[in-house]
Amino acid sequence: MRYGMVIDLKRCVGCQACTVACKSENGNGPGIMYTKVLDQVSGEYPNVRKNFVPVLCNHCKNAPCQRVCPTGATYKREDGLVLVDHDKCMGCRACYVACPYNNRIYLKRGKIKVGYYGKEMTPYEEVKYAEHQDGIVEKCKFCSHRIDEGLTETSCVQTCPADARIFGDLDDSESKVSRLIRSRGGRQPLCEDDTDPSIYYLD
Amino acid sequence: MGISIPLVEKEFVAGFRQQKEWAGLIASAFFFGKVGSGLFIMSVFLPSRLGMLVGLLIVLVGKGGAHFLYLGRPWRFWRGMARPQSSWIARGIWAMGLMMVAGFAALSLPVGSSLYMPLTIFAVICAFVVAVYDGFLLTSSPAIPIWNTALMPVMCMFYSFLGGTTMVLFMTHMGFMELSEKFTAILPNLELGLLVANLLIVILFLIGSINTGSAGRESFDLLVKGPYAVPFFSLAIGVGLVFTLLMSIYAGPHASAGTVALITVADLIGHYFIFFLLLKVGVFKPVLGFLKI
Repeated sequence: MRYGMVIDLKRCVGCQACTVACKSENGNGPGIMYTKVLDQVSGEYPNVRKNFVPVLCNHCKNAPCQRVCPTGATYKREDGLVLVDHDKCMGCRACYVACPYNNRIYLKRGKIKVGYYGKEMTPYEEVKYAEHQDGIVEKCKFCSHRIDEGLTETSCVQTCPADARIFGDLDDSESKVSRLIRSRGGRQPLCEDDTDPSIYYLD
Repeated sequence: MGISIPLVEKEFVAGFRQQKEWAGLIASAFFFGKVGSGLFIMSVFLPSRLGMLVGLLIVLVGKGGAHFLYLGRPWRFWRGMARPQSSWIARGIWAMGLMMVAGFAALSLPVGSSLYMPLTIFAVICAFVVAVYDGFLLTSSPAIPIWNTALMPVMCMFYSFLGGTTMVLFMTHMGFMELSEKFTAILPNLELGLLVANLLIVILFLIGSINTGSAGRESFDLLVKGPYAVPFFSLAIGVGLVFTLLMSIYAGPHASAGTVALITVADLIGHYFIFFLLLKVGVFKPVLGFLKI
Protein backbone atom coordinates (compact mmCIF):
# COMPACT_ATOMS: atom_id res chain seq x y z
CA MET A 1 0.00 0.00 0.00
CA ARG A 2 1.38 3.38 -0.99
CA TYR A 3 -0.94 6.34 -1.13
CA GLY A 4 -0.29 8.83 -3.86
CA MET A 5 -1.92 11.50 -5.96
CA VAL A 6 -2.21 12.25 -9.63
CA ILE A 7 -2.65 15.88 -10.66
CA ASP A 8 -3.99 16.56 -14.13
CA LEU A 9 -2.60 19.92 -15.17
CA LYS A 10 -4.92 20.09 -18.16
CA ARG A 11 -7.94 19.99 -15.88
CA CYS A 12 -6.80 22.41 -13.17
CA VAL A 13 -8.58 25.75 -13.51
CA GLY A 14 -6.66 27.52 -10.74
CA CYS A 15 -9.71 28.18 -8.57
CA GLN A 16 -7.82 27.51 -5.30
CA ALA A 17 -10.78 25.52 -3.97
CA CYS A 18 -8.28 22.84 -2.87
CA THR A 19 -6.30 25.48 -0.98
CA VAL A 20 -9.38 26.64 0.89
CA ALA A 21 -10.66 23.11 1.52
CA CYS A 22 -7.29 22.12 2.98
CA LYS A 23 -7.18 25.15 5.24
CA SER A 24 -10.70 24.47 6.39
CA GLU A 25 -10.06 20.76 6.98
CA ASN A 26 -6.90 21.35 8.96
CA GLY A 27 -7.80 24.64 10.60
CA ASN A 28 -4.72 26.42 9.32
CA GLY A 29 -4.23 30.02 10.32
CA PRO A 30 -3.37 33.00 8.10
CA GLY A 31 -0.46 32.33 5.76
CA ILE A 32 -0.36 28.59 6.46
CA MET A 33 -1.11 26.49 3.40
CA TYR A 34 -0.37 22.79 3.08
CA THR A 35 -1.36 22.98 -0.56
CA LYS A 36 -1.80 25.79 -3.02
CA VAL A 37 -2.00 26.40 -6.75
CA LEU A 38 0.87 28.25 -8.39
CA ASP A 39 0.54 30.35 -11.53
CA GLN A 40 3.01 29.80 -14.32
CA VAL A 41 2.93 32.28 -17.18
CA SER A 42 4.82 31.74 -20.41
CA GLY A 43 5.12 33.13 -23.88
CA GLU A 44 5.15 36.65 -25.23
CA TYR A 45 2.26 38.93 -26.08
CA PRO A 46 -0.06 38.13 -27.80
CA ASN A 47 0.72 34.42 -27.40
CA VAL A 48 0.65 34.24 -23.63
CA ARG A 49 -0.55 31.26 -21.64
CA LYS A 50 -1.12 30.68 -17.98
CA ASN A 51 -0.85 27.25 -16.44
CA PHE A 52 -1.79 26.26 -12.94
CA VAL A 53 0.44 24.02 -10.89
CA PRO A 54 -1.08 22.61 -7.69
CA VAL A 55 1.67 21.83 -5.16
CA LEU A 56 1.71 19.97 -1.86
CA CYS A 57 3.97 17.63 0.10
CA ASN A 58 5.06 14.84 -2.24
CA HIS A 59 5.19 12.15 0.47
CA CYS A 60 8.41 10.89 -1.09
CA LYS A 61 9.41 7.26 -0.80
CA ASN A 62 13.00 8.40 -0.24
CA ALA A 63 12.14 11.55 1.71
CA PRO A 64 15.10 13.93 2.31
CA CYS A 65 13.11 15.64 5.07
CA GLN A 66 12.92 12.38 7.00
CA ARG A 67 16.62 11.69 6.46
CA VAL A 68 17.81 15.07 7.76
CA CYS A 69 15.40 15.31 10.70
CA PRO A 70 17.56 15.04 13.84
CA THR A 71 14.73 14.32 16.26
CA GLY A 72 12.79 11.66 14.38
CA ALA A 73 9.78 13.99 14.32
CA THR A 74 9.39 13.36 10.60
CA TYR A 75 8.47 9.74 10.07
CA LYS A 76 7.02 7.50 7.43
CA ARG A 77 3.98 5.28 7.81
CA GLU A 78 3.62 1.88 6.18
CA ASP A 79 1.03 3.31 3.80
CA GLY A 80 3.61 5.79 2.45
CA LEU A 81 2.46 8.88 4.30
CA VAL A 82 5.27 11.13 5.57
CA LEU A 83 4.07 12.80 8.76
CA VAL A 84 5.42 15.10 11.48
CA ASP A 85 5.08 14.32 15.17
CA HIS A 86 4.43 17.80 16.55
CA ASP A 87 5.62 16.87 20.02
CA LYS A 88 9.05 15.81 18.79
CA CYS A 89 9.84 18.68 16.40
CA MET A 90 12.30 21.22 17.83
CA GLY A 91 11.96 23.71 14.96
CA CYS A 92 15.48 23.44 13.49
CA ARG A 93 14.02 23.68 9.95
CA ALA A 94 16.51 21.22 8.46
CA CYS A 95 13.55 19.57 6.73
CA TYR A 96 12.48 22.93 5.34
CA VAL A 97 15.77 23.43 3.50
CA ALA A 98 16.04 19.76 2.54
CA CYS A 99 12.62 19.51 0.87
CA PRO A 100 13.21 19.99 -2.88
CA TYR A 101 9.56 20.96 -3.29
CA ASN A 102 9.68 23.72 -0.68
CA ASN A 103 6.46 22.40 0.79
CA ARG A 104 7.12 22.68 4.49
CA ILE A 105 5.77 25.48 6.63
CA TYR A 106 7.44 26.85 9.72
CA LEU A 107 4.94 28.20 12.24
CA LYS A 108 6.70 31.17 13.79
CA ARG A 109 6.33 31.58 17.51
CA GLY A 110 3.08 33.39 18.18
CA LYS A 111 1.74 32.78 14.68
CA ILE A 112 -1.19 30.60 15.72
CA LYS A 113 -2.21 33.00 18.45
CA VAL A 114 -3.67 35.30 15.80
CA GLY A 115 -6.82 34.33 13.89
CA TYR A 116 -8.28 35.68 10.69
CA TYR A 117 -10.11 38.40 12.56
CA GLY A 118 -7.34 39.62 14.84
CA LYS A 119 -6.48 38.39 18.30
CA GLU A 120 -10.00 37.38 19.15
CA MET A 121 -10.53 33.95 17.65
CA THR A 122 -13.71 32.44 16.32
CA PRO A 123 -14.97 29.29 18.09
CA TYR A 124 -13.80 27.28 15.04
CA GLU A 125 -10.31 28.76 15.27
CA GLU A 126 -10.14 28.08 18.98
CA VAL A 127 -10.87 24.39 18.42
CA LYS A 128 -8.70 23.93 15.34
CA TYR A 129 -5.68 26.00 16.40
CA ALA A 130 -5.37 23.81 19.48
CA GLU A 131 -4.32 20.98 17.13
CA HIS A 132 -1.24 22.99 16.07
CA GLN A 133 1.90 24.11 17.85
CA ASP A 134 3.97 27.16 17.06
CA GLY A 135 7.75 27.01 16.72
CA ILE A 136 7.61 23.80 14.70
CA VAL A 137 7.40 22.73 11.07
CA GLU A 138 4.17 21.41 9.58
CA LYS A 139 3.11 20.08 6.20
CA CYS A 140 0.41 18.28 4.24
CA LYS A 141 -0.64 15.05 5.94
CA PHE A 142 -2.50 13.58 2.97
CA CYS A 143 -5.45 13.95 5.35
CA SER A 144 -4.19 11.05 7.46
CA HIS A 145 -7.05 11.61 9.92
CA ARG A 146 -9.57 11.06 7.12
CA ILE A 147 -7.76 7.96 5.89
CA ASP A 148 -7.67 6.59 9.42
CA GLU A 149 -11.45 7.11 9.60
CA GLY A 150 -11.89 4.99 6.48
CA LEU A 151 -12.48 7.81 4.00
CA THR A 152 -10.92 7.28 0.59
CA GLU A 153 -10.25 10.88 -0.48
CA THR A 154 -8.32 13.77 0.88
CA SER A 155 -10.13 17.04 1.42
CA CYS A 156 -8.53 18.73 -1.60
CA VAL A 157 -9.44 15.80 -3.89
CA GLN A 158 -13.03 15.77 -2.67
CA THR A 159 -13.38 19.50 -3.26
CA CYS A 160 -11.71 19.87 -6.66
CA PRO A 161 -14.51 20.87 -9.07
CA ALA A 162 -12.50 19.94 -12.17
CA ASP A 163 -11.51 16.46 -10.97
CA ALA A 164 -7.89 17.50 -11.44
CA ARG A 165 -6.72 15.64 -8.35
CA ILE A 166 -7.04 11.90 -8.00
CA PHE A 167 -6.01 10.04 -4.85
CA GLY A 168 -5.34 6.33 -4.52
CA ASP A 169 -2.97 3.42 -4.02
CA LEU A 170 0.09 3.55 -6.28
CA ASP A 171 0.96 -0.05 -5.44
CA ASP A 172 -2.38 -1.31 -6.78
CA SER A 173 -1.92 -1.63 -10.53
CA GLU A 174 -5.68 -1.45 -11.10
CA SER A 175 -6.29 1.70 -9.05
CA LYS A 176 -7.38 4.82 -10.92
CA VAL A 177 -4.08 6.60 -10.15
CA SER A 178 -2.01 3.71 -11.49
CA ARG A 179 -4.10 3.45 -14.64
CA LEU A 180 -3.82 7.19 -15.29
CA ILE A 181 -0.04 7.15 -14.79
CA ARG A 182 0.21 4.19 -17.17
CA SER A 183 -2.01 5.59 -19.84
CA ARG A 184 -0.93 9.24 -19.79
CA GLY A 185 2.68 8.99 -18.64
CA GLY A 186 2.56 10.66 -15.25
CA ARG A 187 5.69 12.56 -14.34
CA GLN A 188 7.17 12.87 -10.89
CA PRO A 189 8.44 16.37 -10.08
CA LEU A 190 12.19 16.79 -9.64
CA CYS A 191 12.68 13.05 -9.97
CA GLU A 192 16.39 13.72 -10.63
CA ASP A 193 16.77 14.24 -6.88
CA ASP A 194 16.03 10.53 -6.33
CA THR A 195 13.20 11.25 -3.91
CA ASP A 196 10.60 9.07 -5.66
CA PRO A 197 7.67 11.37 -4.87
CA SER A 198 4.11 10.03 -4.56
CA ILE A 199 2.69 12.88 -6.62
CA TYR A 200 2.46 12.45 -10.38
CA TYR A 201 1.64 15.26 -12.81
CA LEU A 202 -0.16 14.69 -16.09
CA ASP A 203 0.56 17.36 -18.68
CA MET B 1 7.62 28.12 -27.13
CA GLY B 2 10.41 28.55 -24.61
CA ILE B 3 9.81 29.16 -20.98
CA SER B 4 11.71 31.60 -18.82
CA ILE B 5 11.40 30.79 -15.15
CA PRO B 6 11.77 33.78 -12.81
CA LEU B 7 13.08 34.08 -9.27
CA VAL B 8 9.85 34.71 -7.38
CA GLU B 9 8.81 36.17 -4.05
CA LYS B 10 5.02 35.90 -4.29
CA GLU B 11 3.37 32.92 -2.68
CA PHE B 12 1.22 31.81 -5.61
CA VAL B 13 3.69 32.08 -8.47
CA ALA B 14 5.83 29.26 -9.84
CA GLY B 15 9.55 29.83 -10.19
CA PHE B 16 12.88 29.73 -8.44
CA ARG B 17 12.51 30.55 -4.79
CA GLN B 18 15.11 31.72 -2.27
CA GLN B 19 15.28 29.88 1.03
CA LYS B 20 14.47 32.27 3.89
CA GLU B 21 14.74 30.13 7.00
CA TRP B 22 18.48 29.70 7.50
CA ALA B 23 20.23 33.05 7.73
CA GLY B 24 21.79 35.19 10.50
CA LEU B 25 21.61 32.93 13.55
CA ILE B 26 22.55 29.78 11.65
CA ALA B 27 25.46 31.67 10.06
CA SER B 28 26.50 32.80 13.56
CA ALA B 29 26.34 29.22 14.83
CA PHE B 30 28.47 28.03 11.89
CA PHE B 31 30.92 30.89 12.49
CA PHE B 32 31.38 30.30 16.21
CA GLY B 33 31.53 26.55 15.71
CA LYS B 34 34.34 26.79 13.20
CA VAL B 35 36.36 29.49 14.97
CA GLY B 36 36.00 27.80 18.37
CA SER B 37 36.86 24.31 17.20
CA GLY B 38 39.74 25.63 15.08
CA LEU B 39 41.15 27.49 18.07
CA PHE B 40 40.76 24.41 20.25
CA ILE B 41 42.56 22.16 17.76
CA MET B 42 45.39 24.65 17.25
CA SER B 43 45.74 25.19 21.01
CA VAL B 44 46.09 21.45 21.66
CA PHE B 45 49.04 21.28 19.27
CA LEU B 46 50.82 24.40 20.57
CA PRO B 47 49.93 23.59 23.47
CA SER B 48 47.93 26.25 25.31
CA ARG B 49 45.37 25.41 27.97
CA LEU B 50 43.94 28.94 27.82
CA GLY B 51 43.45 28.61 24.06
CA MET B 52 41.72 25.27 24.57
CA LEU B 53 39.43 26.81 27.19
CA VAL B 54 38.56 29.82 25.03
CA GLY B 55 37.91 27.50 22.07
CA LEU B 56 35.54 25.38 24.13
CA LEU B 57 33.73 28.46 25.45
CA ILE B 58 33.32 29.95 21.95
CA VAL B 59 31.71 26.70 20.78
CA LEU B 60 29.58 26.30 23.90
CA VAL B 61 28.34 29.86 24.29
CA GLY B 62 28.58 31.16 20.71
CA LYS B 63 27.51 28.16 18.69
CA GLY B 64 25.28 26.62 21.34
CA GLY B 65 23.69 29.98 22.11
CA ALA B 66 22.99 30.81 18.47
CA HIS B 67 21.39 27.42 17.89
CA PHE B 68 19.36 27.75 21.06
CA LEU B 69 18.06 31.17 20.02
CA TYR B 70 17.24 29.89 16.56
CA LEU B 71 15.23 26.80 17.49
CA GLY B 72 11.48 27.16 17.40
CA ARG B 73 11.23 24.96 20.49
CA PRO B 74 14.61 25.45 22.17
CA TRP B 75 13.90 23.33 25.23
CA ARG B 76 13.48 20.33 22.99
CA PHE B 77 17.12 20.64 21.81
CA TRP B 78 17.99 17.32 23.46
CA ARG B 79 15.66 15.56 21.02
CA GLY B 80 18.10 16.56 18.29
CA MET B 81 20.42 13.73 19.33
CA ALA B 82 17.92 11.04 18.37
CA ARG B 83 18.94 10.23 14.80
CA PRO B 84 22.73 10.37 14.30
CA GLN B 85 22.40 7.46 11.85
CA SER B 86 21.00 9.76 9.18
CA SER B 87 21.03 13.39 10.32
CA TRP B 88 24.09 15.64 10.26
CA ILE B 89 22.45 17.94 12.81
CA ALA B 90 22.22 15.04 15.24
CA ARG B 91 25.85 14.11 14.54
CA GLY B 92 26.85 17.72 15.12
CA ILE B 93 25.04 17.88 18.46
CA TRP B 94 26.70 14.65 19.56
CA ALA B 95 30.13 15.91 18.44
CA MET B 96 29.63 19.22 20.20
CA GLY B 97 28.44 17.57 23.41
CA LEU B 98 31.29 15.06 23.47
CA MET B 99 33.82 17.78 22.64
CA MET B 100 32.61 19.74 25.68
CA VAL B 101 32.71 16.75 28.02
CA ALA B 102 36.12 15.50 26.86
CA GLY B 103 37.59 19.00 26.52
CA PHE B 104 36.58 20.26 29.95
CA ALA B 105 37.52 16.91 31.53
CA ALA B 106 40.99 17.14 29.95
CA LEU B 107 41.40 20.71 31.16
CA SER B 108 40.51 19.69 34.70
CA LEU B 109 43.41 17.19 34.74
CA PRO B 110 47.13 17.96 35.03
CA VAL B 111 49.01 17.64 31.74
CA GLY B 112 50.94 14.52 32.72
CA SER B 113 48.01 12.47 34.00
CA SER B 114 47.19 9.19 32.29
CA LEU B 115 43.74 10.31 31.06
CA TYR B 116 44.83 13.71 29.78
CA MET B 117 46.12 12.57 26.40
CA PRO B 118 43.26 10.16 25.49
CA LEU B 119 40.65 12.77 26.47
CA THR B 120 42.45 15.49 24.51
CA ILE B 121 42.77 13.34 21.39
CA PHE B 122 39.08 12.43 21.63
CA ALA B 123 38.14 16.11 22.07
CA VAL B 124 40.24 17.05 19.02
CA ILE B 125 38.44 14.42 16.91
CA CYS B 126 35.08 15.80 18.08
CA ALA B 127 36.24 19.37 17.43
CA PHE B 128 37.19 18.37 13.89
CA VAL B 129 33.67 16.99 13.37
CA VAL B 130 32.20 20.23 14.77
CA ALA B 131 34.36 22.18 12.30
CA VAL B 132 33.28 20.26 9.20
CA TYR B 133 29.78 18.92 9.86
CA ASP B 134 28.14 22.19 8.73
CA GLY B 135 29.54 21.47 5.30
CA PHE B 136 28.11 17.96 5.26
CA LEU B 137 24.82 19.30 6.57
CA LEU B 138 24.56 21.74 3.67
CA THR B 139 25.73 19.12 1.19
CA SER B 140 23.06 16.68 2.36
CA SER B 141 20.31 19.04 1.22
CA PRO B 142 19.40 18.06 -2.35
CA ALA B 143 16.96 20.95 -2.60
CA ILE B 144 19.54 23.72 -2.89
CA PRO B 145 22.14 22.92 -5.56
CA ILE B 146 24.72 25.57 -4.63
CA TRP B 147 25.14 23.91 -1.24
CA ASN B 148 25.17 20.46 -2.72
CA THR B 149 28.88 20.25 -3.49
CA ALA B 150 31.75 18.25 -2.06
CA LEU B 151 33.77 21.45 -1.66
CA MET B 152 31.49 22.64 1.15
CA PRO B 153 32.99 20.45 3.94
CA VAL B 154 36.50 21.22 2.63
CA MET B 155 35.76 24.93 2.76
CA CYS B 156 34.43 24.57 6.32
CA MET B 157 37.59 22.73 7.38
CA PHE B 158 39.96 25.31 5.92
CA TYR B 159 37.95 28.24 7.31
CA SER B 160 38.02 26.57 10.71
CA PHE B 161 41.80 26.14 10.62
CA LEU B 162 42.20 29.72 9.40
CA GLY B 163 39.93 31.06 12.17
CA GLY B 164 41.81 29.03 14.77
CA THR B 165 45.22 30.18 13.54
CA THR B 166 44.10 33.81 13.46
CA MET B 167 42.77 33.59 17.00
CA VAL B 168 46.00 32.00 18.23
CA LEU B 169 48.05 34.78 16.62
CA PHE B 170 45.73 37.37 18.14
CA MET B 171 45.93 35.87 21.63
CA THR B 172 49.71 35.57 21.36
CA HIS B 173 50.19 39.18 20.30
CA MET B 174 47.81 40.36 23.04
CA GLY B 175 49.94 38.53 25.59
CA PHE B 176 47.41 35.82 26.52
CA MET B 177 49.49 33.00 25.08
CA GLU B 178 53.15 32.17 24.86
CA LEU B 179 54.45 30.24 21.90
CA SER B 180 57.72 28.38 21.51
CA GLU B 181 60.18 29.85 19.02
CA LYS B 182 59.37 27.12 16.55
CA PHE B 183 55.66 27.96 16.50
CA THR B 184 56.32 31.71 16.54
CA ALA B 185 58.10 31.22 13.21
CA ILE B 186 55.60 28.73 11.77
CA LEU B 187 52.25 30.32 12.59
CA PRO B 188 52.45 33.49 10.45
CA ASN B 189 53.46 31.33 7.47
CA LEU B 190 50.64 28.91 8.23
CA GLU B 191 48.22 31.84 8.30
CA LEU B 192 49.46 32.99 4.89
CA GLY B 193 49.17 29.48 3.49
CA LEU B 194 45.63 29.08 4.83
CA LEU B 195 44.56 32.45 3.43
CA VAL B 196 45.82 31.48 -0.03
CA ALA B 197 44.20 28.05 0.27
CA ASN B 198 40.86 29.57 1.31
CA LEU B 199 40.97 32.06 -1.54
CA LEU B 200 41.60 29.21 -3.98
CA ILE B 201 38.79 27.12 -2.50
CA VAL B 202 36.32 30.00 -2.76
CA ILE B 203 37.32 30.55 -6.40
CA LEU B 204 36.95 26.83 -7.14
CA PHE B 205 33.61 26.80 -5.36
CA LEU B 206 32.37 29.70 -7.49
CA ILE B 207 33.57 28.08 -10.73
CA GLY B 208 31.92 24.82 -9.73
CA SER B 209 28.64 26.47 -8.78
CA ILE B 210 28.16 27.79 -12.33
CA ASN B 211 27.51 24.24 -13.44
CA THR B 212 25.19 23.09 -10.66
CA GLY B 213 22.08 23.39 -12.78
CA SER B 214 19.62 26.21 -13.25
CA ALA B 215 18.97 26.83 -9.54
CA GLY B 216 22.70 26.76 -8.81
CA ARG B 217 23.18 29.32 -11.57
CA GLU B 218 20.48 31.52 -10.00
CA SER B 219 22.36 31.33 -6.70
CA PHE B 220 25.63 32.13 -8.44
CA ASP B 221 24.06 35.15 -10.14
CA LEU B 222 22.62 36.39 -6.84
CA LEU B 223 26.05 36.08 -5.25
CA VAL B 224 28.23 37.68 -7.91
CA LYS B 225 25.82 39.94 -9.82
CA GLY B 226 22.72 40.36 -7.71
CA PRO B 227 21.96 42.12 -4.43
CA TYR B 228 24.57 40.10 -2.51
CA ALA B 229 27.47 40.90 -4.83
CA VAL B 230 28.55 44.03 -2.92
CA PRO B 231 28.85 42.38 0.52
CA PHE B 232 30.31 39.27 -1.09
CA PHE B 233 33.12 41.01 -2.94
CA SER B 234 33.74 43.69 -0.33
CA LEU B 235 33.35 41.83 2.97
CA ALA B 236 33.72 38.10 2.30
CA ILE B 237 36.45 38.32 -0.34
CA GLY B 238 37.90 41.85 -0.06
CA VAL B 239 38.11 42.30 3.70
CA GLY B 240 38.13 38.64 4.72
CA LEU B 241 40.71 37.24 2.35
CA VAL B 242 42.47 39.80 0.12
CA PHE B 243 42.97 42.56 2.72
CA THR B 244 43.94 39.99 5.35
CA LEU B 245 46.40 38.35 2.98
CA LEU B 246 48.00 41.65 1.94
CA MET B 247 48.22 42.85 5.54
CA SER B 248 49.75 39.56 6.64
CA ILE B 249 52.37 39.76 3.89
CA TYR B 250 53.06 43.44 4.56
CA ALA B 251 53.22 43.15 8.34
CA GLY B 252 55.21 39.89 8.35
CA PRO B 253 55.87 37.77 11.42
CA HIS B 254 56.76 40.75 13.63
CA ALA B 255 53.51 42.69 13.21
CA SER B 256 52.40 45.01 15.99
CA ALA B 257 49.53 44.06 18.28
CA GLY B 258 47.29 46.64 16.60
CA THR B 259 47.99 45.26 13.13
CA VAL B 260 47.30 41.72 14.28
CA ALA B 261 44.04 42.88 15.89
CA LEU B 262 43.05 44.50 12.59
CA ILE B 263 43.91 41.33 10.64
CA THR B 264 41.91 39.26 13.13
CA VAL B 265 38.82 41.46 12.86
CA ALA B 266 39.05 41.48 9.05
CA ASP B 267 39.46 37.72 8.93
CA LEU B 268 36.50 37.11 11.23
CA ILE B 269 34.28 39.52 9.27
CA GLY B 270 35.09 37.65 6.07
CA HIS B 271 34.56 34.31 7.76
CA TYR B 272 31.09 35.28 9.01
CA PHE B 273 29.93 36.86 5.78
CA ILE B 274 30.99 34.13 3.41
CA PHE B 275 28.78 31.56 5.12
CA PHE B 276 26.00 34.06 5.79
CA LEU B 277 25.87 34.96 2.10
CA LEU B 278 26.08 31.35 0.95
CA LEU B 279 23.04 30.63 3.13
CA LYS B 280 21.19 33.67 1.81
CA VAL B 281 21.68 32.78 -1.88
CA GLY B 282 20.28 29.27 -1.49
CA VAL B 283 17.67 28.84 -4.21
CA PHE B 284 15.09 26.06 -4.61
CA LYS B 285 14.40 24.63 -8.02
CA PRO B 286 10.93 25.21 -9.50
CA VAL B 287 8.74 22.17 -8.83
CA LEU B 288 7.79 21.69 -12.46
CA GLY B 289 10.89 22.87 -14.24
CA PHE B 290 10.15 20.37 -17.00
CA LEU B 291 6.79 21.90 -17.84
CA LYS B 292 6.69 23.14 -21.42
CA ILE B 293 3.53 24.94 -22.40
